[in-house]
Amino acid sequence: MLRIENLTKTFGDKKAVDDLSLHIAPGEIYGFIGHNGAGKTTTLRSAAGIQQFDKGEIYIDGVSIKTDPLTAKARMAYIPDNPDLYDFMSGIKYLNFIADIFGVGAQERKERIHDLAERFELTADLGQPIASYSHGMKQKLAIISAWIHTPRLIMMDEPFVGLDPKASRLLKDMMREVCDGGGAIFFSTHVLEVAEKLCDKVAIIKQGQLIRSGTMEEVKGDESLEEVFLELEAE
Amino acid sequence: MLKLLLKKQMAEIFRSYLYNVKKNKARSKGGVIGMIVLFAVLMIGVLGGMFTFLSLSMCEPLYEGGLGWLYFLIMGSIAIILGTFGSVFSTFSGLYLAKDNDLLLSMPVPVRAIITSRLLGVYLLGLMYSGVVILPAVIVYWIKGAHGVPQIVGGLLLILLISVFVLILSCALGYVVARISVKLKNKSYITTILALAFIGLYYFFYFKAQVLLQNLLNNMAVYGEKIKGSAGLLYRFGRIGEGDWTAMLIYTAVIGALGAATWIVLSRSFIKIATATGDTAKVKYREKTARLQSADQALFRKELNRFTASANYMLNCGLSTLMLILGGAAVLWKGGELVPVLENILGDAEGSVAVLLCVGVCMIASMNDMVVPSISLEGKQIWVVQSLPVSGWQVLKAKLKVQLGLTLIPALFCIACVIIKLKPPVLTLILMVLFVTLYVIMMAVVDLWIGLLSPNLNWTNELYPIKQSMSVLLALLGSFALVIILGGLYLLVGVRLGGDLYMGLACVLMAVISVLILLWLRGRGAKRFANL
Repeated sequence: MLRIENLTKTFGDKKAVDDLSLHIAPGEIYGFIGHNGAGKTTTLRSAAGIQQFDKGEIYIDGVSIKTDPLTAKARMAYIPDNPDLYDFMSGIKYLNFIADIFGVGAQERKERIHDLAERFELTADLGQPIASYSHGMKQKLAIISAWIHTPRLIMMDEPFVGLDPKASRLLKDMMREVCDGGGAIFFSTHVLEVAEKLCDKVAIIKQGQLIRSGTMEEVKGDESLEEVFLELEAE
Repeated sequence: MLKLLLKKQMAEIFRSYLYNVKKNKARSKGGVIGMIVLFAVLMIGVLGGMFTFLSLSMCEPLYEGGLGWLYFLIMGSIAIILGTFGSVFSTFSGLYLAKDNDLLLSMPVPVRAIITSRLLGVYLLGLMYSGVVILPAVIVYWIKGAHGVPQIVGGLLLILLISVFVLILSCALGYVVARISVKLKNKSYITTILALAFIGLYYFFYFKAQVLLQNLLNNMAVYGEKIKGSAGLLYRFGRIGEGDWTAMLIYTAVIGALGAATWIVLSRSFIKIATATGDTAKVKYREKTARLQSADQALFRKELNRFTASANYMLNCGLSTLMLILGGAAVLWKGGELVPVLENILGDAEGSVAVLLCVGVCMIASMNDMVVPSISLEGKQIWVVQSLPVSGWQVLKAKLKVQLGLTLIPALFCIACVIIKLKPPVLTLILMVLFVTLYVIMMAVVDLWIGLLSPNLNWTNELYPIKQSMSVLLALLGSFALVIILGGLYLLVGVRLGGDLYMGLACVLMAVISVLILLWLRGRGAKRFANL
């Protein structure tokens, strides 16, 4: 579903991502962990087609983000670490804007917005301007907008930040639903307990390089993910 | 603490002078000096030159008639009006809507220090606008009138007092807007309407002032005595410039007290207003089936929403829309008198009236430049369009369409009104429509090109991209310059060619420029946007 091949991205003299390769198959929830500045956001932004990269290739569902970005983007959704949405729109206007861009039909859209907004308890606030939303509400709206066109791949940067426990749980369930339906999830997180319980596979990045990846069992063995991560970071 | 905040405020105000966003690095010393010189030349050359000319025409007769105080009263009043007009719209957002309010309020920073640093931005804007009037007025007086120590001290003090008074007025009006806006639902529209009423009043008095000024110069002795006798405070105000120590003392004390009172009121109410979320009724969401739109329509709607959501944006970048409609209506109303007058002035030159009226319509249309800041206004939300399955060109096209829609339609209405009154031959009629259409299209693509060259996505207050960026200044002055060139060229060489041929050639030139820039925007421009 997502194939990253030899991704390299440099900012000035600093290599933010260095020859990174990853493969995320349909049905997988793939966690991406690393300390601050390790290159997680750069990798996610490159995969989402927001940022150009120096070397390598990224394929979304077999489509190159480099050569055919529009087709690739139509098959995925991206949520950044800070949900800066259009403050000048109301929640429902924003959702309709995203749905229009992805060409989601009227009835389908109505049902999805109804269902997702109800699940996140955001229905009553959809008429309000986004400027009046709290961080958590913006995050919920960003999640609804990502799910609205039923993408095959969803990439998220720190998706649980700002969510209340109920919404966090709901998001985890929704992630699993996407994968059960043949889609895939690629997300970064600092909450290792969440990654350990939720992910089928995990990759650890350090100074732009992938230092370990594989199934959760392969990566952590008998130890906890936190212990493995801290050991690798100390090396 | 205050020093730190002032430094931050100054860095924000002069960011574009110190930092090259395009290259993502600080400008060299030469670059900084170049930017400052360019800005100074534009401000002093364009606005300052105009008021120097006005000062030169008024100073000598008034000074020789013993009415130097009246000269300073008139120039001081213009400076106050222009200064307040120039800074009042940014006071509210500059003081209360800055994006770092929460951050600063969460830190152990005294509110007084935040207010003072914010006021500095408003003060500098007021000083700049009032300074272009009063500084030349004072210098002209020193040259044509007197230049002893009292006059030099008085002149300098007058500049300072006017700038502080402008700050007080701007803050008072900004405070009223802030108090009202906390309660309002459709803030942007109501603020825009109020501001337009203010602008209308300003122009009403401005045009009246021209007549009054002439009348005043003709009867200066009579009016001088009247003002002196019945409005002592105004007389004293003018006397500051003449170096009257008593007047200086009185006004320094009064304006100082007013300034202190403003500062106390603002300090006490700042937190409440800056953190107010409003107690307006919650908009009730009613589930309904949405009307489907294509991606292009959705992007256009998004840009239009962005434009209409901000009174600052509408007022600073969209005034032509209203002016063109009013202009068209005015032509229908008074055009019967205007056309024969123009025909008399321009004499036998065939088609001259048509060309110059077209140039006039283009001049009014030049004030619309909403596409220039639209790139910078994407700000931190730019990831949304960059992550969606739309091309950079589609996004740029939506921005262009907003400017074209809001300018071309009223411009065509305006030129249609001109055509109705002028009743030109068919070929001239077609060329007039083409001329205006191509000018509006060319300016839209040029504006978008300028906006794309040096966008600033890291602003903390939307006023910076909308009003204070170099791109906006360049676009505005560039479009004015172009209209002047189009009109000037006609008067210099076009008259000999004839109106139709001149308009035809201008249309070809504008079409070629538009196509070339459009090609750049579709290719390199779209790529540049995608990589911002």
